[in-house]
Amino acid sequence: MATKNAEAYAAVSKTYEWGFSSDIEQDFAPKGLSEDTVRYISAKKNEPEWMLDWRLKAFRLWQTMEAPDWAKLNVPPIDYQDAYYYAEPKAKPKLGSLDEVDPEILRVYEKLGIPIAEQKMLAGVEETNEDGTPKRRVAVDAVFDSVSVATTFRKELEAAGVIFRSISEAIREYPDLVRKWLGKVVPQRDNYFATLNSAVFSDGTFVYIPEGVRCPMELSTYFRINAENTGQFERTLIVADKGSYVSYLEGCTAPMRDENQLHAAVVELVAMDDAEIKYSTVQNWYPGDENGVGGIYNFVTKRALCQGRNSKVSWTQVETGSAITWKYPSCVLAGENSVGEFYSVAVTNNRQQADTGTKMIHLGKGSRSTIVSKGISAGRSDNTYRGLVRVGPTAENVRNFTQCDSLLLGDQCGAHTVPYIEVKNPSAQIEHEATTSKISEDQLFYAMSRGLDQEAAVALIVNGFAREVLQQLPMEFAVEAQKLLGISLEGSVG
Amino acid sequence: MTAVLELPTTREEAFRWADMPALQAARTLTPRSAAVPDAILPDAARLVFVDGYLDPDFSRPADLTITPTTVTSDHALARYAAGQGHVIALAPRSVTTIEIARVNAGEDSHTPLVITLGKDAVLTLVESFTGAGWTNTLTRFELGQGARVMRAVRIVQDAGFVSTRDEVAISEAASFVSVALGATTAGTRLDAALTLNGDGAYAELGGALLTRDDQRQECAVRVRHARPNGQSHQLWRAVAADRSTVSLAAAVEVARDAQKTDGEQSLRGLLLQRTATVNLKPELEIFADDVKCAHGATVGELDARALFYMQSRGIPAARAKALLTRAFVADALDRIADETIRDTFAADADAWLEHTL
Repeated sequence: MATKNAEAYAAVSKTYEWGFSSDIEQDFAPKGLSEDTVRYISAKKNEPEWMLDWRLKAFRLWQTMEAPDWAKLNVPPIDYQDAYYYAEPKAKPKLGSLDEVDPEILRVYEKLGIPIAEQKMLAGVEETNEDGTPKRRVAVDAVFDSVSVATTFRKELEAAGVIFRSISEAIREYPDLVRKWLGKVVPQRDNYFATLNSAVFSDGTFVYIPEGVRCPMELSTYFRINAENTGQFERTLIVADKGSYVSYLEGCTAPMRDENQLHAAVVELVAMDDAEIKYSTVQNWYPGDENGVGGIYNFVTKRALCQGRNSKVSWTQVETGSAITWKYPSCVLAGENSVGEFYSVAVTNNRQQADTGTKMIHLGKGSRSTIVSKGISAGRSDNTYRGLVRVGPTAENVRNFTQCDSLLLGDQCGAHTVPYIEVKNPSAQIEHEATTSKISEDQLFYAMSRGLDQEAAVALIVNGFAREVLQQLPMEFAVEAQKLLGISLEGSVG
Repeated sequence: MTAVLELPTTREEAFRWADMPALQAARTLTPRSAAVPDAILPDAARLVFVDGYLDPDFSRPADLTITPTTVTSDHALARYAAGQGHVIALAPRSVTTIEIARVNAGEDSHTPLVITLGKDAVLTLVESFTGAGWTNTLTRFELGQGARVMRAVRIVQDAGFVSTRDEVAISEAASFVSVALGATTAGTRLDAALTLNGDGAYAELGGALLTRDDQRQECAVRVRHARPNGQSHQLWRAVAADRSTVSLAAAVEVARDAQKTDGEQSLRGLLLQRTATVNLKPELEIFADDVKCAHGATVGELDARALFYMQSRGIPAARAKALLTRAFVADALDRIADETIRDTFAADADAWLEHTL
């Protein structure tokens, strides 16, 4: 048995493939956090007065708040004054096309295997023609450190009426729309990290899908932390108007660094009547080395408001990175017959800690939710599922199904399940199941008797374990996610 | 005038659903005389605690060895119960039945109690809570190798608040089975920490909490597997009527060493009205890789198809509802081995259901 475990253990121990940092000139705000920092960020982005006031209000709130400690996480004290809150690639003259983007930046994307140029080629960007061309295409709003560098496919999206902008552009160009929704789902005072984000968010994405429009392509943002000591404070806001549909992909990698980096993003989604938002994440930030040195602190607030009747939001996440993950993509199911889904695979290895899960707040009649969470722990890591299912007193005929499975590789790791169920309406049907297991010798033996080597067998079993979640990912991402699971499993035997 | 207490707030994770205002309110009730209830087991040794003190007039310790001791605790509520208490020491291979009655006239009543069982000792224990006011207990069990405890706790206090804290250490091959019934109008908080610190130890912990009006009851229990081959089962049932709330928080913790653990949890809630609330938190915390742990949790109303079926066979709706609710509660009470005790508990539950439905 020991050897099998050792082998499985080795399978998930691999150095971070995408750890590198590139030299690009950057503009920094001075280190530290004060009202001046907030004003600097706001000024740097040419923001209107109301936006500055909004940030300042959040900042003053934040100063009165305390960091939460209820998660099963061991977070070293964070010195918020010892970090930069704003960095942008050296200003260049206005970008006419992708070719004008700093070639160094393009090279970073190439190293990540997601070159924008190639994306363009792949998608056959003969500039526009939007007669319902197949949705093999992906529009990329690349966030390099804190500022969107290039936004592709903009014209085609505009023809469909879709607004796909960096949030700072959106604040300037669509102030009414942004002002109407910003902070409506995750208010400024929501929680410590969301409040911090509200004060100092550097950039992010704004998406608006007009009534009845099915977004002609999958939208995607690649986040990437680059500058040393730069916390990233992304802000994403997606509004899907009546009867619209959008699929949004978010993928992350970060270069290897020895100092812990803070990331506190906020994502807000709003779905109106009959609208559907599919939000997929592959998160592979630097998790620290095997002793837990370095690695990203990932404190994310993601929440969706299913405001309209029959609206639907689906969160899918594959979490393999970060030293500490604190993340609970949630759905407030306010609309009648609205649907919330949460599919998650979380892999932790070495000294990684993940406390992740979801909240399904049922307020609308007939609202339904599904939660499928797969946790895989290896090394000396801790992997916690923490979820809340709440049914309000007026929400009739609510249904929820929750399944949390944990897989343990090795005997030094931990797998925890902390589900909360709060029901105030008797017509609700709430089911919760959880199991904890390891890769059994029988499974390994069977796979190997069919000619697979140990490594392939473990990979196969782990992929099978996570299959229910992986198959929820859009095509473009499913490949990447499977590769990611594969990478953390390969190079192990011997 | 009662002293002001420093009580935990709902900001603390372990007291997230706790109803500490009800505890405070219980302390302001006017004391009244409380009758000592009849014994459930007339032949067993009987200890009666009136307002937290062992009452020699009503007690019938038979040949029990009871010695005074000082008990300490830093638990948020149990620390008020800490202090002068008693130890009941059961000799190896002895077979004992004890009935404990806790009668509260309406003052604060705090009782610390330690029960130790020698090798292969067997104890059947039944505890009743009656009266009013705040009844607060700290009970420690120490089970020697192969010892067995079968315990049933019956909370039928008319008013006030009952908070119990059990700390149980279970050695090799020992077994601890505890079933609680909260069929009361008082608020409750049942707190327990069981540790299976011997190879092959066995624990069963559960009960049924029934609430109505604005009442709130909750349990917050944690079973810790420290050694290999342990087995634990937690089975809790909640029935909430009117505007009441039942909260069940049950955790299983499996330490690194505790390979081959089998931990199981079943939490189920039944809502009788749409103003009632059931909160569940079946928690698993696992550090060993070769374990079998599963939990199930459901909340809902009575099965409409079963109700329909029974009515189609001529059973009136109200009766069908009562029968199904009774069966739901019986799941938990069936774990009580002793027939006399089980019947008493079932009668308490029935009386509660009759009053409520």
